[in-house]
Amino acid sequence: MQTLLELYHYRFILSNLVGRNLKVMYRSMSLGMLWTLLNPLVMITTLTVIWVVVFGNSLSFAARVIVALIPYNFTVYCLTGCVHAIPGSASLVKKSAFPRQILPIAIIATHLIHFGIQSLLMVLMLLLFPLEGGHFGFHLLWVVPIFLVQLAMCIGVGLLVAGLNVVYRDVQYITESLLTVLFWICPLVYSDIELSKLPPWLYHLFYMNPLSGLLTSYRDVLFHGHMPGLVPFGQAVVGTLVVGWFGIRTFWKHERDFADLV
Amino acid sequence: MDCAIRLCNVSKCYRIVRQQPFLASTLFRALLRRSRPPDVHWALRDISFDVQKGEAVGVIGSNGSGKSTLLSLIARTSYPTSGEVHVHGRVGPLLELGAGFAPELTGLENIYLNASLLGLQRKEVDAKLDSIIAYAGIGDFVYSPLSTYSTGMSARLGFAVIAHIDPDVLLVDEALSVGDQDFQRKCMETMEGFKRRGKTMFLVTHDMPLVQRVCERTIWIDKGRIAAQGPSADVIAHYTDRSPRPPS
Repeated sequence: MQTLLELYHYRFILSNLVGRNLKVMYRSMSLGMLWTLLNPLVMITTLTVIWVVVFGNSLSFAARVIVALIPYNFTVYCLTGCVHAIPGSASLVKKSAFPRQILPIAIIATHLIHFGIQSLLMVLMLLLFPLEGGHFGFHLLWVVPIFLVQLAMCIGVGLLVAGLNVVYRDVQYITESLLTVLFWICPLVYSDIELSKLPPWLYHLFYMNPLSGLLTSYRDVLFHGHMPGLVPFGQAVVGTLVVGWFGIRTFWKHERDFADLV
Repeated sequence: MDCAIRLCNVSKCYRIVRQQPFLASTLFRALLRRSRPPDVHWALRDISFDVQKGEAVGVIGSNGSGKSTLLSLIARTSYPTSGEVHVHGRVGPLLELGAGFAPELTGLENIYLNASLLGLQRKEVDAKLDSIIAYAGIGDFVYSPLSTYSTGMSARLGFAVIAHIDPDVLLVDEALSVGDQDFQRKCMETMEGFKRRGKTMFLVTHDMPLVQRVCERTIWIDKGRIAAQGPSADVIAHYTDRSPRPPS
């Protein structure tokens, strides 16, 4: 809570850092932020061609993937960015005294802008391919709590990897490898039937990962058109609390040494 | 009089890092209960002194004696291993060149970033912007990325921001020696202005005439310990006696 108040006080630093991040990312690109739409478009096109054209599934399959893929991308971008948040701003950390957590949070805020742009793609898709059962209703409000839990999870895990990567230099490689595994241990490309074939212990292991619960909840609300299942969403909340507590503790523990280590 | 900076028995120890540790090997060693004691270097040992409000104190000593470590502790970018550091009021740290600047941003954007890191809000920067640009005196370069600047130009920009945040405690580390005559004169005027307004100054430099001119008191640090402190003229005389003279 105190961290949040502090963030409000340091909002000016935050906006300057987000501006810098955007500028570094799009330094020499004339199309600028439109590039952020390219990656999900390529991904969806590939998936659609393979699943719909080659294997003859229905077109709604693409919509089913995209509603989970875009939140998934946000998480991955946040974590890959956070790993380098502190060393990437070494000159600021060494020379100025400001709350260090602003650096990873500025990375997350930057990707939040990308997430917003990519979500427009998602909305467009849902308008183009309206699904049976009706999409528009009060259940859509569930997106807000789901998103807030996801944001909290990104901050928690982001602080964890940002802090550890200053102290141990292999954390960035470990994170990269784990993110590759993450793609396959999330309900992204699997159908519900495939998931239900899992043995129960593996199914529970699968949902230990808080992102699984979040992606399932997004899909329930945006694709299936009903409120999220309380079990996967509850698991995501618990997972986020655990990982967030651990992340904040780890970051605090090492925060004072950052200037000496980067 | 009030105390602006107080250090009580401050020591700072760095681990000598030949190679940053791997998480994997650290966990492995923890499992085997075999940990290697790290090699350490004490950059500062048992330093205690007070700086009164409005006082200007110089810090001298050879390279690697711990002067910059001392400044980073007062600037709160780094924390002591033991002992306590108390600083009252807003600190204006000018630690090396281009402190708190991002090379990919323009000078203008860096003014905003730097000022925000020093604790200013947007409105305050907006109000002082023209004055900061005029003080830096780098012309149209404020609209170019900092990576195109010369060393002197980024020092100008850095000092221009510090001069406008109105710090209670000004920390200066070797930054002024790179500026040209005109800029050094401007810096002198600003520092003397600070002094007149009762601000505290803490100056680390090898420029003995500058110390003698600005600071009434000087601390000489040698191998992480205070070798001497007192009126500037005495300490400087002592220091130049002990230091090897350049061959003439």
